[in-house]
Amino acid sequence: MLAKIQKFIEYFITYRGYVKVLLGLKNTIIIAVIGLLIGIVIGTVIATIRVVPKYKVLPRVLDKFCDFYVALFRGTPIVVQLLVFYYVFFPLIGVQITSVNVSILVFGLNSGAYVSEIMRSGIQSVDPGQMEAGRALGLSFSRTMWKIVIPQAVKNILPTLGNEFIALIKETSVISFVGAADLYAAFNYIGSNSYEFMVPFLAMALIYIILVLFITLLIRLMERRLAVSDRRH
Amino acid sequence: MIDVINLKKNFGEKEVLKGIDLHVDKGDIICIVGPSGSGKSTFLRCVNCMEDPTDGQIIFDGVNIADMSVDINIHRRKIGMVFQHFNLFNNMTVLENIMLAPVIYGIKDMRAAKKAGKLQAKKTRAEVKEECRKEAMELLARIGLQDFADAYPSTLSGGQKQRVAIARALAMKPEVILFDEPTSALDPEMVGEVLDLMRRVANAGMTMLIVTHEMGFAREVAKTVLFMDDGRILETNEPKAFFNEPKNPRLKDFLSKVL
Ligand SMILES: Nc1ncnc2c1ncn2[C@@H]1O[C@H](COP(=O)(O)OP(=O)(O)O)[C@@H](O)[C@H]1O
Ligand SMILES: [Mg+2]
Repeated sequence: MLAKIQKFIEYFITYRGYVKVLLGLKNTIIIAVIGLLIGIVIGTVIATIRVVPKYKVLPRVLDKFCDFYVALFRGTPIVVQLLVFYYVFFPLIGVQITSVNVSILVFGLNSGAYVSEIMRSGIQSVDPGQMEAGRALGLSFSRTMWKIVIPQAVKNILPTLGNEFIALIKETSVISFVGAADLYAAFNYIGSNSYEFMVPFLAMALIYIILVLFITLLIRLMERRLAVSDRRH
Repeated sequence: MIDVINLKKNFGEKEVLKGIDLHVDKGDIICIVGPSGSGKSTFLRCVNCMEDPTDGQIIFDGVNIADMSVDINIHRRKIGMVFQHFNLFNNMTVLENIMLAPVIYGIKDMRAAKKAGKLQAKKTRAEVKEECRKEAMELLARIGLQDFADAYPSTLSGGQKQRVAIARALAMKPEVILFDEPTSALDPEMVGEVLDLMRRVANAGMTMLIVTHEMGFAREVAKTVLFMDDGRILETNEPKAFFNEPKNPRLKDFLSKVL
């Protein structure tokens, strides 16, 4: 075992394996962070369409479209979505795009579907009296949503959004399917060169665990801060 | 100022309002009493179209606001509403609660004035905000809560919350304020402070429509008292006659139970 660790360290440092690991880590974090931000924007828009009163035709059509969108992205594995976008969709429309950018896009679209459900339950957890009071003051539905309901909804769902972020971090382990440099690609590279896979993959598991624990800690801190402000309010 | 003409409201099959007529003049203080489930809240909520009437008209300043094609938000600015459960915005401080709508409308009006080329109306956003802040602070001083400007609603007592909610309605300088059982959710010891404030608002000449179970308050402050039962107004009178010589048997029965 000691020899294996020594070999790993040798390849990690002398053969600059750490550069690939750092690149993979960077991609993982970029894709998860930007993906979640895109997901929050898309998810908020979808959740708002979901709760808008459906007297008119337009909201009803949009609602059906959202149904379709959410079913599509929740009903297929993210690997399949990645492959379809990278090897089918973009070539068909003749657009060149890097594998990292495709991953960001697909992770954003995918988490948009999940965040929309989270956000909808968040919006529904806000007392309907808040919307009533806003509307009674003459504020429009969207203005009341934006200024009053969504800020309270986001506060309620922050822990769930944190879980979504952790899920995204973990799911980035599939982006090497479209050739993007991730942690798997980095450690696989070290393994293939040193003919020794045990330690590299153990190290990979450790990095994921540390990453997830670190994010969990951040979420805890954020929740505690919100709880403090709740008491002070 | 307001004319309600043959107002009907159904929820599905259920007829909740069965033809209500009411004329409200500027400065009127009308109290609405009646058993629970008789449609009082529904009626009040139809007046500012929080519920869309099934049939009939709500003429407010000459416009039928029950017509779905009018921009209801323009008219709601002029119709304040105070709720049983206060409904203060939980994510905002007391001051922000009061300022929110005035700032939004102040900026909107300023933009409109600019477009119309009225140069003297030119103000910056900051000036509009500062003006609204000052007025909000004056309102808070009037209700004795200036020290709570930066507090969040969750730290206030029920009575304080309702006073802030009334201030929030007043900040829009409305033509009329609708009150839906403003003291029903309060602990008994806090009812007084809210009724006191409502009395002061009434004395300042505000037009008010008040659904209430506070018969003493209705007798003292109202110009007219209405009795609603089963989706209809069964009796309308000035308070003295209303309480001393009720005519409708259902009203007699109701008063014998609550007085
Ligand atoms: N949104 C609604 N949907 C269905 N029924 C309703 C709704 N709001 C009120 N109702 C019904 O209308 C009737 C009158 O209610 P309401 O106006 O609240 O009476 P009140 O305020 O006099 O107690 C009740 O029977 C109530 O169940
Ligand atoms: Mg009621």
